[in-house]
Amino acid sequence: MATEMKNLGSKIILLVTGIFIFFPLYAATEFSMRNGAEKTHGLNAYRWIFQQSGFAENLAITARITVLAVVLNLLIMVPTVTWLHLSGQRYKRLIEILTILPLIIPVVALATGAQLALPSILENTVYELSFMYVVVAMPYTYRALDIGLSGHPLATLTNAARNLGASWIRVLMNVIVPTIRPSIFAALFLMVALSLGEFTLAQLLHWTTFPVWVTNASQQNIIGATALAVGSLFFAWLLLFGFTFFGGKNSNTVQEEA
Amino acid sequence: MKQATNPNVDMKGASSKGGAFHGFLSSFPLPLVPLFLFLLIFFLWPIGALTGNAFKSNEGAFTLSNIQMLFQDPYRLAFKNSITLGLISALVGAIPGLLIAMAIEKQGSQTLKKFVASISGVLANTGGVPLAFMFLAAFGPAGLVISALKSIGIDLYGMGFTLFSFTGLVIVYAYFQIPIMVIVISPALTALRSEWKDSAANLGASKAQYWLRVGIPLLLPSFIACFLLLFASAFSAFATARALTVGNIALVPLQIGSLIDGNVTVNQFNLGYALAFGMIIVSLLAMIPYIWIQSRTSKWQQK
Repeated sequence: MATEMKNLGSKIILLVTGIFIFFPLYAATEFSMRNGAEKTHGLNAYRWIFQQSGFAENLAITARITVLAVVLNLLIMVPTVTWLHLSGQRYKRLIEILTILPLIIPVVALATGAQLALPSILENTVYELSFMYVVVAMPYTYRALDIGLSGHPLATLTNAARNLGASWIRVLMNVIVPTIRPSIFAALFLMVALSLGEFTLAQLLHWTTFPVWVTNASQQNIIGATALAVGSLFFAWLLLFGFTFFGGKNSNTVQEEA
Repeated sequence: MKQATNPNVDMKGASSKGGAFHGFLSSFPLPLVPLFLFLLIFFLWPIGALTGNAFKSNEGAFTLSNIQMLFQDPYRLAFKNSITLGLISALVGAIPGLLIAMAIEKQGSQTLKKFVASISGVLANTGGVPLAFMFLAAFGPAGLVISALKSIGIDLYGMGFTLFSFTGLVIVYAYFQIPIMVIVISPALTALRSEWKDSAANLGASKAQYWLRVGIPLLLPSFIACFLLLFASAFSAFATARALTVGNIALVPLQIGSLIDGNVTVNQFNLGYALAFGMIIVSLLAMIPYIWIQSRTSKWQQK
């Protein structure tokens, strides 16, 4: 009886939580489908989104920033973390501390600093954001890769490949990358999620990206803005949920195989 | 014939295309150079420049006057508001987050755990403008909850409630604060092994004694660490606050935004840097203990 009561207690907590999570989402969806002042519903606001002049253009800018951020992130982080695991163990503690630093500095403050002192070649291009996003995501991407690499006997695999005459590039591309693919995907998705929704750096460095455009568009049409919010939330959630739910599963199976 | 040489030497040699620099490289981690350079250029250098400018007058001379301004209104008020918002929001996130994590732990289902972890990961990253609009649709003046309550005779806005307020921010922030709490506190709860509970019971401890002497002392450091993390996340939130408040609440991130955005005269730029410097200091005070506690507790949690 006592345990039943307790289970009931925790079930109630979970139920209330569920309501707290899904109700605002439901409310936003309902609101975004209102047809102006009339009490009818429809998809007008969603049509409105696509009629806006900046929509495709700004989405494309954000997509390009994201691609560059993902490439930069993987180019820098994958070889570094691999090396740390293979032969740089004594530097691991140092890198752990260095990569967590961006978590300590508020993004607003980082943006302020970036406005002051970025390399001048990058100052006049929107792609400076990609570089900053790699920094902001680093505490998460480093950990995702670090955890992924910890589960594999990388040194053994690498030595085997080297004994068979593979070059280091080949070892990296044909042995290490396929082995740790789930954690590479994890790092990739983290980067994409951050880059698609980032507002603070873009706004403070005076660039119009998709999230900034959404904010500006919202000032003219509140229902349309809610539609945009619902649309971008669903898109980001689908991406993130897909990755965490299925990505996690993948990494388990791979670890069992290895 | 190639041999399985010590990978220590080999990997370093690899990035220098051959092994000519072995002697030099064994003391200098060349493979770390890209990461070091990247962090130097895009992180340490901007932070350094910002710190330097916080102590400079408009003529470029050293001065403490920007920093002194932080202790005068409206900036003093903004720091007070932001810190209070951080503390209340952390509390509002930490308590339900802990209860939810405990409820999930109690249910014991792996699928539920995984599902909740996925959802939390998603929600913890939900911020900014979309989040603000979602809550506007529910709790805004024309929102679903507000109009439903109005139809049964409760006029919340008439009673003084508004989403565009301090309370409103706390409600909206809870949407990402609670999931962050669930994510960071769960490992600590999972690590509380049921054996400990059983052995305490076998030794004659009551449930209350177990929690008082074992459970709470073990969980408290993690709880404090999570609280600090939540504080820092609410303290520095910018996008949601900017979308939701209309300049009616003085908050440090928003003040920095308007000082840096060029909406003001140029001679106030350095004041903006001083504000950002102040933010970094407050954030450091919360995050350094957080990282320290986390690295300590993760040791026994893994065993």
